[in-house]
Amino acid sequence: MIKVRGYMSSREFMGERVPQHVQNLVIRNYCNQNKYQYLLSAVEYAMDGSYLILKQIIQEIKNLDGIGFYSIFQLPYNDKDRILFLEKIIKKKKFLFFCSEGFIVKNRKDINRINTIWLIKKNLNQSLKNFSYFKFNK
Amino acid sequence: MINYRSSVSNQYSDKFKNKGYLILKTKNNNSLKYLQKKILQTIVKECKIKAPKDLLNEDFLNNFHKKIKYSDLNEHRVNIIRKINQDQNFKKNYFLSAKEILYALVGNELSMQNRINLSIQFPNDASSLLPLHSDIWSGDSPFEVVVWIPLVDCYGTKAMYILPPNHYKKVENNFKKYSNKSSTQLFNKIKKNLEWIDIKFGEILVFNQALPHGNIVNKEKETRWSMNCRFKSVFSPYGDKKIGEFFEPITLRAASEIGIRYKLPEIKK
Repeated sequence: MIKVRGYMSSREFMGERVPQHVQNLVIRNYCNQNKYQYLLSAVEYAMDGSYLILKQIIQEIKNLDGIGFYSIFQLPYNDKDRILFLEKIIKKKKFLFFCSEGFIVKNRKDINRINTIWLIKKNLNQSLKNFSYFKFNK
Repeated sequence: MINYRSSVSNQYSDKFKNKGYLILKTKNNNSLKYLQKKILQTIVKECKIKAPKDLLNEDFLNNFHKKIKYSDLNEHRVNIIRKINQDQNFKKNYFLSAKEILYALVGNELSMQNRINLSIQFPNDASSLLPLHSDIWSGDSPFEVVVWIPLVDCYGTKAMYILPPNHYKKVENNFKKYSNKSSTQLFNKIKKNLEWIDIKFGEILVFNQALPHGNIVNKEKETRWSMNCRFKSVFSPYGDKKIGEFFEPITLRAASEIGIRYKLPEIKK
């Protein structure tokens, strides 16, 4: 059976906050649907910019087949760090899945797909800073 | 506003703004046929129905309510949606079926909804109705359009309705008055002004989801089959349905690919 570790956030990611129990439920449900063995989740530290727990999971990755995330936006914010992390996973022939988006990363093409969405979101956040259509048009 | 759009684009845009929707025959019949065939093959497999001799004959879909039990409908629908969305070519052909209209109305750098929806409405079935609503009222971005593709001819109560923009203005201005009413009460209030959208298989409907729309019980003798999917410009504001979880870019252009990766050279360590 495919063994996966969940990865959860305890802080906002790209302006979104999802309670940990909801992240857990979503990852568990995804695992059930895909018949993965869910090895519970590791929770990232709340401090801004911390990816210590993610790095720790990488260290134990040889005992796993993949890592499950609630969203692609929980990946490292820094572009280089994010790509480095994704490449490490591919190199080790493991996979990642992102429940909210329904994406899987297994090869370089997948990295490019995820990264493009990340960069668009970053640019949108810049160009539309503090812009909420619904507030703006009040 | 400066307008360098083509005359065709202007013509589409004016119609869309004035009527709240646009219906055109697809310019890409092969793509539409692909969608139709894929859906039909999926239905046959999922519902374990014997495939008719002429799979593409509309009678098969129109008479679908005679082929399965009503109580199994939703489970079949959910499974069919899951299966068609697993096919990456399905999404591509959906886009290609409507490409010309989308380029004219939305732009050529598009985000597409990740999952295409399928709606099946049996005759006299009140359980799968979408009562009067505007998608924006529940969090969609007003920068999106809906591409609605019928798999059968839709007419009368088998069709959907929309409130044209000139009548919507009145609803908008008086919204406080309606805010304590149910959607049925609001429907009854504006019923006389609604437009029922007759559309044939082979045509594509693009509508403004900000305008109140919905359907009523299908009193015709045939089942309605339609698909819907939202599109928007990649860099226009997103509502509650975000990039990644709901939308994905499908026609990103070189300048944007370069732009999103651009970093100013660093001058300080």
